[in-house]
Amino acid sequence: MSDYFCLSDLSFSYKGYGKTEKLPPVLKDLSLRVKEGSRTLILGPPDSGKTTLARIACGLLPRYIEGYLTGKVLLKGEEIPASEPWLLADKLTYTGQNVQEQLLMTTCGDEVAFPLESLAIERQALIERVEESLNSWGLLKYKDVNPQELSGGERKRLLLAVTAAIDAPLWIMDEPFDDLDEQWRQELKKRLLEKKGTVIVFASRYIKEADSLFDNYYLLNDTRLSEESRATAFSKLQALDRGTALNIKMEKFHQNRELRCEQMVIGHERRSTDSTLPFTLKIDRFSLKTGEVVALVGPNGAGKSTFSRVLCGLKRPQQGSITLDGESIASSKRLAQVAYLFQNPDYGIFLSSVEQELGWSLRHSAVHSKQEQIASAAKLFDLNLDENPSMMSYGKRKQLQGAVYYILNRPFVIIDEVDSGITSGDASKMVALLKQRGSAVVVITHDRSFAKQIATRQYKIVDGQIIESEVGQ
Amino acid sequence: MNTNTFIAGRGFLYWFDARAKLLTVLLFSVMVFFPSQVVMLAILMALIFIVAWRAVTFKQALKPLRTLLFILVVMALFIPLNRRDGVALLVIKSYVIITKEGLNQFLTLALRLLIVTYLCTLYIWTTPMADINLSFRWYGLSYKVALTITLAFRFIPFIGETFTMIRDSHSLRSAHGESEGEKFHIKDLVPTVTSALVFALKTIPHLATTLEHRGFGSGLKRSDYKVLEAKGGLFIHFLLSAIILLTTFVLLNSI
Amino acid sequence: MNEKTKSKSPALSIALMSILTAVVVVFTIFPRIPTPIHGYINLSDVIITFSAFLFGPWVAAVAGGLGTGIADIIGGFPQWAVFSFLIHGLQGLLIALIARAGLKKGVPGDAKIYMQILGGVVGMVVMTGGYYLVGGFLYGFKPALVEIPLNLLQSGVGVVLGIVVSKGVLKAYPPVRSLAL
Repeated sequence: MSDYFCLSDLSFSYKGYGKTEKLPPVLKDLSLRVKEGSRTLILGPPDSGKTTLARIACGLLPRYIEGYLTGKVLLKGEEIPASEPWLLADKLTYTGQNVQEQLLMTTCGDEVAFPLESLAIERQALIERVEESLNSWGLLKYKDVNPQELSGGERKRLLLAVTAAIDAPLWIMDEPFDDLDEQWRQELKKRLLEKKGTVIVFASRYIKEADSLFDNYYLLNDTRLSEESRATAFSKLQALDRGTALNIKMEKFHQNRELRCEQMVIGHERRSTDSTLPFTLKIDRFSLKTGEVVALVGPNGAGKSTFSRVLCGLKRPQQGSITLDGESIASSKRLAQVAYLFQNPDYGIFLSSVEQELGWSLRHSAVHSKQEQIASAAKLFDLNLDENPSMMSYGKRKQLQGAVYYILNRPFVIIDEVDSGITSGDASKMVALLKQRGSAVVVITHDRSFAKQIATRQYKIVDGQIIESEVGQ
Repeated sequence: MNTNTFIAGRGFLYWFDARAKLLTVLLFSVMVFFPSQVVMLAILMALIFIVAWRAVTFKQALKPLRTLLFILVVMALFIPLNRRDGVALLVIKSYVIITKEGLNQFLTLALRLLIVTYLCTLYIWTTPMADINLSFRWYGLSYKVALTITLAFRFIPFIGETFTMIRDSHSLRSAHGESEGEKFHIKDLVPTVTSALVFALKTIPHLATTLEHRGFGSGLKRSDYKVLEAKGGLFIHFLLSAIILLTTFVLLNSI
Repeated sequence: MNEKTKSKSPALSIALMSILTAVVVVFTIFPRIPTPIHGYINLSDVIITFSAFLFGPWVAAVAGGLGTGIADIIGGFPQWAVFSFLIHGLQGLLIALIARAGLKKGVPGDAKIYMQILGGVVGMVVMTGGYYLVGGFLYGFKPALVEIPLNLLQSGVGVVLGIVVSKGVLKAYPPVRSLAL
């Protein structure tokens, strides 16, 4: 049987703007052969290029993002029409990792309808397909609701509903199980098993649904793709994720400081239209001492970010106050004491080089050793001083965010989803570096085992209450 | 960021077809700018206010008036003082302050402004944005422009939220020991706007490729998920529109 | 991607215009600088100037026109929507056309600074003059004078910040040049 979908000697580098014409290659001489009706899993650690590969396979790259591509992408023996991507609309569907990049419309119904309109499906059939797909993913009640009002998990399901409605014979999915809760992960597994067609899934972490779901396993690492057995694919991935051991010297700079909240009530705006989520967050007692690492866990939408915003002074609580070293501290003063690293590292980037970004943090200080501080921070976080931040990979931008706050050296640091988008090894290193001079670090994470590995205490959000619990629960 | 302008409700204005409504609002607005008696304009405005009151709540119906209050006060101060020829109405120490012509001119301009504002506002309140877009398309707006408008509406809340996050992120980064109360300073404006723009620009290639990936760009005729349906037939709605416009025309030119 | 694909691509131009339109709307409604004279000034002119310098006349016209028009509708001033569309559309168009006059290649933001300023000033005149004329028609010409200082301030700030920000973005995000049509 000839190959249904084939990548042949694919090499790709992004365009460099500035000193280099071509950035180092992301993919080199890659080949992949996929049989019709098979399910393939391609694993790759963060920043390995799997999203780049997924996009190239769908013909989305290098269309409007410049790069140098050699090699071929073949569907049923013919090269995909990269200059007329709309011809693939009913043959191949890409479900990306970043859902917001793929949402176009102002209601869920319109979103599912858009590709069907492109395919000129007749109106009555179109309306039925829209309702059926929305219903199959539990979203029929949101047919006239704006997707921006939905939670992250619901938006993922919307994307899956669009995919279901088009029902193309080839599905290429990047981290499709992400953001979905248990019930829907099982649903997705079921749909993939029932799918009459070919499926290629990309992932960067172990997914338990992978058991008995895929026929072929590949590992993408360091520009190369290799076929593996299920066991070796996952074990190699885990090794890459762990990284190397750390050796970081601690310094005693921040000592004996404590941030505390007592009897606090925080107003919490619900993200989704789900009415079971509470309107307020209650905190009986929360304390954070310099030198410790505390995990903050809870389901999506529970209020972890809201609580963090109160701690760092961006938001005022409805009741209760926060004390620093026993004295009440106003929210405007907390801004300089409590750092908060947003989940998206791009919110802070505006300058054209790493060196400038790091230097910006020091612009108020009169310290003479500014250059040295900048250089040593860059070295610790594996950053190149000349590189332009908006051109760096996601993982590197996260490291830059860490470096910026490392220089700021605040006594209390909150990191939102430190382990998403980078390996556990790098995440541990970042936490260790931020803690290096005695700062307290709050780590928000979904990964219970990562929490167990890195934190000494844990707070959990359950039913609108923040309570202390055992690490890793 | 709330981009929703539609206020749910029932009644004639909601039943009235979006396309016929649009024509009515436009031609009505044009008609009030032709010379007419103040009394007639006042009557029309009163009728329109009553219609607004019935469609939405009284408090809501006052809102357009509130947004115009400042400019109406400015007009009340400047216009009569500017036109002091003719029949005097208010004289202080033999100095003519207000004349009949001055008052007339003020009332004419003020009523015109109010009428046009209320007409546009009522249209927005009683017609969902999607229907407004479809009406424009029915009148000849190209699909591409309509799509641009829909996409803009899709991205407004997203970019608004992103801007808030960026502003907060910069506040956090810039904060230092001697920070005063204000969370956001003017000098943080340039970094914040630059970040926001870079963020927005980065979404453009993804939006373009997603549009094409979902089949847009082939130039082939698309089918339509949503269409406008005039209840009772479009002819009746346009007939109604004609009746309203004719009545208004007659009233405005009767005296 | 070669030049030919880009210039013929409807998807890219629609994506570009709709995102910039959305940015104009957000910056018209959202961040507002309070002024001692009545009210606030908004930052829409910054984005319109930015669009003109980085993307040229047609993108700036659409983003400026549609953006301010939509902002008026959402913000509670629908009677102004058509006028804002025309005034700011023309403003965007002219800023770009003048700034790039004589420029052989590149974006208008590459032009000599005095050309950019000239374009900006013409934009200020169009914006302030446009709102004065329409205001005069709607409210009377004397009352419409009240808004002139505010509009001059707003469009002036728009030009200055627009120049600064467009230079910043060209440096911070070089691929923006490949988006220019």
